[in-house]
Amino acid sequence: MTLETMIITMSSGMLEAIKIFTLTLAGALPFGMVIALLKKSRFFVIRAIVSAYISVIRGTPLMLQLLAWYFGPYYLFGFNIGNWRFPALIMGFICNYSAYFAEIYRGGIESIPVGQYEAAEVLGYTPAQTFNRIILPQVIKRIMPAVTNEIITLVKDTSLAFSLAYAEVFSLAKQISASQASFTPFVIAGTFYFVANYVVEFILKRIEKSMDYYK
Amino acid sequence: MILQMNNIQKQFDGLEVLKDISFGVDSGEVVSIIGPSGSGKSTLLRCATFLETIDGGEIQYMGEKAVHTDESGRTVYVNQKELRRFRSYYGLVFQQFNLFPHYSILRNLIDAPMVTQHRSREEATETAMDLLTKMGIADKADAYPFQLSGGQQQRVAIARALAMKPEILFFDEPTSALDPELTGEVLKVIRQLAEENMTMVVVTHEMAFAKAVSNRVLFMAGGVVVEQGTPEQVFDNPQEERTKQFLRVFER
Ligand SMILES: Nc1ncnc2c1ncn2[C@@H]1O[C@H](COP(=O)(O)OP(=O)(O)O)[C@@H](O)[C@H]1O
Ligand SMILES: [Mg+2]
Repeated sequence: MTLETMIITMSSGMLEAIKIFTLTLAGALPFGMVIALLKKSRFFVIRAIVSAYISVIRGTPLMLQLLAWYFGPYYLFGFNIGNWRFPALIMGFICNYSAYFAEIYRGGIESIPVGQYEAAEVLGYTPAQTFNRIILPQVIKRIMPAVTNEIITLVKDTSLAFSLAYAEVFSLAKQISASQASFTPFVIAGTFYFVANYVVEFILKRIEKSMDYYK
Repeated sequence: MILQMNNIQKQFDGLEVLKDISFGVDSGEVVSIIGPSGSGKSTLLRCATFLETIDGGEIQYMGEKAVHTDESGRTVYVNQKELRRFRSYYGLVFQQFNLFPHYSILRNLIDAPMVTQHRSREEATETAMDLLTKMGIADKADAYPFQLSGGQQQRVAIARALAMKPEILFFDEPTSALDPELTGEVLKVIRQLAEENMTMVVVTHEMAFAKAVSNRVLFMAGGVVVEQGTPEQVFDNPQEERTKQFLRVFER
């Protein structure tokens, strides 16, 4: 197998990795905010559930969570897992990353001085307006470095999809490497992750910079 | 009466911070509140601006009740929507300015009028630029708060409160967070507002300033108004021992 064929064979895996990455972010970035806000709920029961959720997610390996999402429904309800692989994968990733984003958001929200809320309240903003216009923009600026770290980890974590034998870059690299007795597929995979991270970091740094106009 | 507070009581976990305080402010009046630290001055302003909820008493703006204690002893506020309407009657200038750091100076002044009072951008901008000119910082309209000195930031905060066209303006130690050489520029704009008959309540430790601008001075200690009267009465001829004691510290 030539290098070119290897790359072409693996490119479908690259697309899959990008798909996992994009869907996870699209779900986890907003869902994390929901969790962060629920954790500040007035109701003890909600706070307790959310806290338990976050500790379970953070206290167990993502790979195990992916396996649980995939096999869990089958063992629990005898659910047919035919087309369940990809949804399970995405659910696992979103739920995992939401918990991490939630903690980052919560830290960011708590770092905003109470004077900002009070000034907004006296000026007649509703609580929702205060959050959206005054608090959230400042939170986003403060958490960008932490979010960037998390997103870069996600690029690499997409390789964990191989634990469900999902055909992304890393799984394909392993297959081709075994059949061709060659290490090259892993070099290609490594290069892919590196370049993807480089692009992601470049974009996130630009976003961070765009918020440099105030302190 | 623009503001009337009757029999205000406030506790923080059992600690009585305001003990049955009553006071009113007439249109055009400038009232200074002085007193030792911990006497409840900030709490009184925070109750008047609904940042704290009172445990007993009554607060009226423009003759309308915002909160009162009913026969059964329950203290009832009007609903949130009504409260927001009451908020348009007053402005509050904080010791720590509390400008919005992500908004330009101009945006700090026009955002709330546009969002919470539904004024047009043109009108809000015109009002804002007039106010900035008056505060002597029109050239800073496009700057951000972090680029301004403390004195300039506080003047922006005053302008931001005025942009809402309030009936009454509260100040909680507006110069206490400033370097001594910057207090003058802030006191000057407050004095200018007093000359224009803006209704104001100013908590301050600047005695000379309080004496010069106020129509009335309240001396608070231990959660009560110990003494009140014209600046001449309170500063030059105090009746209560606590007032004399407090003022002696400042004379030195
Ligand atoms: N949020 C609060 N929780 C508990 N105690 C408070 C709170 N705010 C103020 N106090 C207490 O109330 C008293 C009056 O405080 P404050 O109104 O800030 O006084 P002043 O502004 O006159 O210095 C002080 O003893 C203070 O410790
Ligand atoms: Mg105070």
